[in-house]
Amino acid sequence: MTSLNTEVMEEGFDPEPGKPEPVKELAGRSPTRIAMGRLAHDKVAVICGTILFVMVLMALLAPVISNAFGLYHKIGPGQAALTDLLEFDGLPRVGPPLHPFTWDHPLGIEPGTGLDNLSLLLYGLRTSLFIAVLATLISTIVGVTFGLVAGYATGAVDAVMSFVIDFLLSFPFILGALALAPIITTRFGANSSTLGRAEFLTLVGVLVLFGWMGLARLIRGQVFSLREREFVLAARVIGVPTRQILFKELLPNLVAPIVVAISLALPGFVAAEAGLSFLGIGLSEGTSLGKTINAADGYYDKYPLYLWVPVGTIMVLVIALNLLGDSVRDAFDPKTRR
Amino acid sequence: MLGFIVRRLLSSLLVIGLASFVVFAIFYLGPSNPAQPICEGAGGRCTPERLEAIEKQMGLDKPVVSAYGEFMGGIVKGREIDFGASQYDCDAPCFGISFGTRTPVTDELKERIVPTVLIAVGGSIVFLVVGVSIGIAAAARRGSAGDRLLVSGSLLVSSVPYYLVCLLAWIFLTLQTSLFPDTGYFPITEDPLKTFGGLLLPCLVLGVATSPSYARYTRGQMVETLGDDYIRTATAKGLPRRTVLFRHALRAAIVPIVTIFGLDFGALLAGTIFTETIFSIDGIGRWGLQALQAPLDLPVLTATVLVGALFIVLSNLIVDVVYGFLDPRVRLG
Amino acid sequence: MRLKQPIIAVTVAGLFALAACGGSDDGGSGTSEGNQEGEGAAQEGGNTGDAQDATRVDGPVEIEGATPGGTIKVISVAGLNTMHPSEAYYQNTSTILSGLVTRALTQYVYDEETKSMVLIPDLATDLGTPNEDFTEWKFELKPGIKYEDGTDVKAEDFIFSTAASMDRTQFPEGPAYSNDYLVSGDTYEGYFTAGKTLDGFEAVTVEGNTITYKARKPFPDMPYWLTFPAMSPMNETAAADPAAYARHPMATGPYKFGEYTPEKTLQLVRNDQWDTNTDPGRTQYPDSYEMDLQVESAQIDQLLLSDSGDAQTTLTYDDVLNENYRDFDASGRLVVGGFPLTSYWAPDYRKITDIKVRQALAWAYPYKDAYLSAGLIEGVTAIPGETLMPPGTSGRKEFSPLPDHEPGVTDPAAAKALLEEADAVGYEIKFLYAKDDPKLVKQKDVIVKALEEAGFKATPVPSTVADLSTVRADPDADINVRSPGWIADWPSGSSWFPPVIQSTNLDKEGLGSNYAAFNEPAIDQRIEDIQLLPVDEQPAAWGELDEEVMTEYFPLFVTRYGGVAQAHGSKINGHFVDNTIGQPTWKNLWVTQ
Repeated sequence: MTSLNTEVMEEGFDPEPGKPEPVKELAGRSPTRIAMGRLAHDKVAVICGTILFVMVLMALLAPVISNAFGLYHKIGPGQAALTDLLEFDGLPRVGPPLHPFTWDHPLGIEPGTGLDNLSLLLYGLRTSLFIAVLATLISTIVGVTFGLVAGYATGAVDAVMSFVIDFLLSFPFILGALALAPIITTRFGANSSTLGRAEFLTLVGVLVLFGWMGLARLIRGQVFSLREREFVLAARVIGVPTRQILFKELLPNLVAPIVVAISLALPGFVAAEAGLSFLGIGLSEGTSLGKTINAADGYYDKYPLYLWVPVGTIMVLVIALNLLGDSVRDAFDPKTRR
Repeated sequence: MLGFIVRRLLSSLLVIGLASFVVFAIFYLGPSNPAQPICEGAGGRCTPERLEAIEKQMGLDKPVVSAYGEFMGGIVKGREIDFGASQYDCDAPCFGISFGTRTPVTDELKERIVPTVLIAVGGSIVFLVVGVSIGIAAAARRGSAGDRLLVSGSLLVSSVPYYLVCLLAWIFLTLQTSLFPDTGYFPITEDPLKTFGGLLLPCLVLGVATSPSYARYTRGQMVETLGDDYIRTATAKGLPRRTVLFRHALRAAIVPIVTIFGLDFGALLAGTIFTETIFSIDGIGRWGLQALQAPLDLPVLTATVLVGALFIVLSNLIVDVVYGFLDPRVRLG
Repeated sequence: MRLKQPIIAVTVAGLFALAACGGSDDGGSGTSEGNQEGEGAAQEGGNTGDAQDATRVDGPVEIEGATPGGTIKVISVAGLNTMHPSEAYYQNTSTILSGLVTRALTQYVYDEETKSMVLIPDLATDLGTPNEDFTEWKFELKPGIKYEDGTDVKAEDFIFSTAASMDRTQFPEGPAYSNDYLVSGDTYEGYFTAGKTLDGFEAVTVEGNTITYKARKPFPDMPYWLTFPAMSPMNETAAADPAAYARHPMATGPYKFGEYTPEKTLQLVRNDQWDTNTDPGRTQYPDSYEMDLQVESAQIDQLLLSDSGDAQTTLTYDDVLNENYRDFDASGRLVVGGFPLTSYWAPDYRKITDIKVRQALAWAYPYKDAYLSAGLIEGVTAIPGETLMPPGTSGRKEFSPLPDHEPGVTDPAAAKALLEEADAVGYEIKFLYAKDDPKLVKQKDVIVKALEEAGFKATPVPSTVADLSTVRADPDADINVRSPGWIADWPSGSSWFPPVIQSTNLDKEGLGSNYAAFNEPAIDQRIEDIQLLPVDEQPAAWGELDEEVMTEYFPLFVTRYGGVAQAHGSKINGHFVDNTIGQPTWKNLWVTQ
C-alpha cells in the first residue's frame, strides 16, 4: 500500500545519495548544539514538543489514571456483566450515544465490550507510542549499522548487503507482513500468556523488517562519499581500526540525516500500526489506537465520539511528530539561515 | 553502462525468484492446511483418506522444493495440470490453477492487472500534480505562515489512517451525496467513460493521501536548490520569479523526485490493497489479500507476490538507469 | 468494519465457517428488547419445519400483486465458490442454484402461513415411493422438461448426475450423501475419477420415465437429499468437462447463467425453456439477477440503509451488523428467522471424564455476554437452547438436560457447587479461539472471565480463522474443549446423531465431526438401531435419544441455535427466510415496478 510504503520505507530517504553533507564548524559549537539552539527558538517546534510531551505523559500515566477512576480497559474480574452495561444490540446502556453524558465515563463506553473509552484511549496511546518508538529505535540501529558497513566495505560484502536491501525493498510489504505475522505468532505465542508479547514483538519485527532499508541506503550513500575524504583516509593511514573509523569518525558526520530519518519514521510507524491493525495483523491482546479505530469505524454517525476521539488523537500525534521532524530537519540544515 | 544493466538485471531476477520462494516456504511452514476446511465442508466425515485426496488434487502432497520447481517451470514453459478429472492445458506463463475459482491464475491476472495499472497511473497523476504544486508553493514562501499552513494542511489528510479516509470518502462522496459515481472497475473495453467514473474517486483519494510526502520532498529539494548560487545569480540578473522557480530551480529539484516516484510507482503497481478493497476494485492488491484468507490460495498468492516484486524491481532498475541520464554526476559502473 | 472471511461451507459438516467465525458472522438483529420478545422469536425463529406436501405437483405459481420486470441485485461479503451442481454445497451457492437455476426431483417452497418451508415435488410427479425398508425409491419424471438449450431432460440424466455426485476426488467440496447411503457409493470412485465410465455404478436404474434409487441402508430421508443441486439432472455430454460446466451449468429452472466471474459476479437471466406449468414452486418475475460479491460488510449495511438508487432493488443474505439492527428494524426492511444450526461446546470426553465438571461448564458459560461480545443478538442471530436437535427437527423433544437450568442462564455459584462436589475446583479448561477476529477475541475474554468466576482455570489457546478448523480436527491437540457448530441438511435426527455423537475410530478416521470424542458403545448401538426402525417410529426415537444422551452423559452443551437477520431494499418483495438453511426465499422474489 502506498501510504504505508511511502511512510514507512521512504520517508527520510535522501534522494541524492551522492551528495556529501557539508560540515561547518562554527566557533567550536557542534552542529547538534547549533541545531538545538535553533529548535528552542522555533515556535512550532516548541508547541509540537509540548504536545508530544503531554501525550507521552498521558500514555505513561494510563494505569494510574484508569485505576484512580476505576475504569476498565480490558475485560476481567470485577467488571460488571456485559448484559448490565450494554443493550441487546451491543450499544451502551450508559453515556452516549443513547443516554446523557456521565462523568463516570467521560468518553463513553465501548459497544460490544462495555470498556471505558478514556481508558482504552490512554492505553491505546501507550501501545501505539511504544510500538513506534521501539520500531524506530531498532530500525535506526539496524539501518545505520547496515548502511555504514555496506558503504565502507567494497566488493562482495557491499554487493551482498545491497542485494539484501534490494530484496526486502521489492518484497510486497503488506502481503509479506500478512503471510509472516501469523507464523511468527503461532511459533512463539502458543499460549495466551506469551501471545501478547509475541504479537507485540512480531508487529515491531514486521515494521522493522520492512522499515530499515531506506535509512540503510541513505547512510550507505553518505558513507560512499565520506570514505574518500581526507580525515577518513588519514585515520586509515595511521592504522585506526575499521570499527573505530566507522563509529568514531564516520558516524558523527551522519547525525543530521539520522535525526531527520528518526523524526520522520516515528509518525510513519504510528500510521502503519493503524493500517496493519485494519488488515488483522495488529495486536489481538490489549489495545492500540489503530485497533480502536478499526473497531469503531462502523459507528461514524451512530456514535461519533467512539470513532473520532482516537482518530483525532492519532491525527494530532502524527502532525505534531511530522512538524517537529520538519523543524529538526531545518535546524540541522546548514543552509537554513534565519 | 551495459554491464551495469546486465548485472542489475541478473540480481533483479534473483530477487524475484527469492521473493516467490519465500512465499512458498512461508506457506508450507505455516500451520494451516487449505485442504482441511474443504474436507470438513464436504459433508459426511472428513476422513484422512478424503483429506489426502484433496491435498493431492491441490498439489499439496509434494515437498516444497519440487512444488516450487514445478510452479516456476510452468511460468517459463507452461504445464499440464490435473485438477481432479479436469485437465488444464496451462500455457506459459502458467501461474497454476486457483484453488478458489478453479480457473487458470494467468487469465485472471491479465484481467486484474488493468485496474491496478489504471489506479497507479491515475493516483500518480493526482499526487504528482497536487504534491509538487504544494511543495513549490511552500518553498517559494519558505519560513512564512503560508509555508507552514501548506505543509500542515497537507499533513492533515495524511495523518488520518488511510483506510479510514477511503471508507469515509466512499460513504460521504458516493453513497450519501452521489457526488461521485459508483466506484469499482468496469471493463475499459465496454464503456471507457464508466471505467473513468468508477476509478475517479479511488484515484483522487489515493493521490490526495499520498501527495503530502511529495509536497515535502519537493519543498525540501526546492529549498535546497533555491539556496544555490546559480539561483541567486538568476534572481540577481533580474529574471522574473516565476522563471527562476520553474525554469531553473524545479529542473534541478525534480531529479530526486523522479527517483522516488519511480519506486512508489512500482509499489503502486504491486497492488493498492486498501484502495482496491474499500472501493471494490478487483485489482492485484485485493486479490492477494483474498488469497490470504482461509482457505489459502497458494497459486494466487505466489502470482501476486511475483508480479508485485517484478514491478518493484523493474521500476527500481528504470530509476537507476534514468537517474544516470538525468544526473551526469552519477556514473554507473 | 473488518475484512470478512469467506463463509465456507454450509451444510452438514460445514460448520467450519460458522463455528470458526461463530461471532464473525457479524450478526445482528433482534427483536427490540432482550428477553420476552427474544423468547418469542426463539420459538418461531428456531423452528425449521418438517412439513411435506406431495400433492403440489403442477404450476404455475402466482404471487398476488407481483409484477414482472426489474433486476434484483444481490450483495454479499462471501464469494460464490464453485457453482458446479455436483459440488455447490455452500449456503449461498446451493440455494441460488436450487432456487433459480437447477430443478431437481423434489424441492422446498415457502409457506407464508407457517413461515416455514414445505417439501413438495419438482421434476417428479410426487415425493417418491419407497419400498418397505426404504432401501429403494421410485420417482416418476414429468414429461416435457427441457434444458435451457431446448434439449429434453431424460431419466438417464439422473444416472449421470448421481454417478457424478459420488466423485469425491473431482468434487471434494460437494456433499457426500450419495457415497454414504447409496448402493456402490463406497466402492465406485465417481464418474470422472473412475474414468468417465458407469462401470461399477449401480445406485440408479431407469425404466421409461421411472427412476429408481437404491440405498445400501434404509434412507427414509431420500426426498430431502434429492432437493440438492448435486442430484439435479445433468446431461452426460453437456457436462463432460466439469471445469467448463462449473462456469455455465445447464439451467432447467426459470433463470440461466448470463455473465459469470467465479467468486465475484454472477448474472442470471430468464430461461425461456422453463415451463411454469410444470413447476409448483418457482416464479419468474424479475428480468434478471445481478450478484455482486466480496463486498465489505460495513458497505453492505451502508448501501442498504441508504436505500437510494440501485439499493432499493438490492438484497443481502448476510446478517446485518448488530449496531445497525435498530435502524433496519425501524425501516421495515429487515428479515429475521432461524435455521437448523446448533453451536455447542464439546468437552473432550476422553479428558473431562467427570460429568459434573461438564455440567459445571454449562452453568459457567456466559451465554448472553458471549452473544453481546461477538456481535450476536439474543433471540435473533443467537437463540438460546439446550437440546442438540434444534426446533423444527422431527421428533424433537423439549427437555432440560441440566436439572433446573434454563436456556441461556449463567450461574457461577451453581457451577462452583458442582465443581466442589467433583473435587475439581481450579479445573483447567483449554479451548481454541481465533485471535485474528476481534469479536471472537472479545468473546474469549468474556468466557475466560466467566469460567474463572465459576472456579475453573481458563486457558484460551490462540489460533487463527484459517487454522482453527485444522487444529480443532486434530484428536491430539492440546485442548480439552472444542466449540463447533452443526447445520442439519434435513430436519431429521439422522442428520444429527450419526455424525455428531456416534464414535469414530480416532486412529484411522480422526474425530470426524464427533468433536467431543464421545464414545459410548451403548449409544453407538442405539444410533444403529434407530436407523433400522420403521420410518414413522424414527423421529420419536431420535427425540428420546437426544434426551437420553444429554441427560445421562451430557457430552456437550448448546451455546446457541442459529438465526439470520437479512435486509433488502424497499422495492424488493417476497424476501423471507428459508428456514432450512438461512437463505432468502429465492422462489418468491419480485420487484415493485
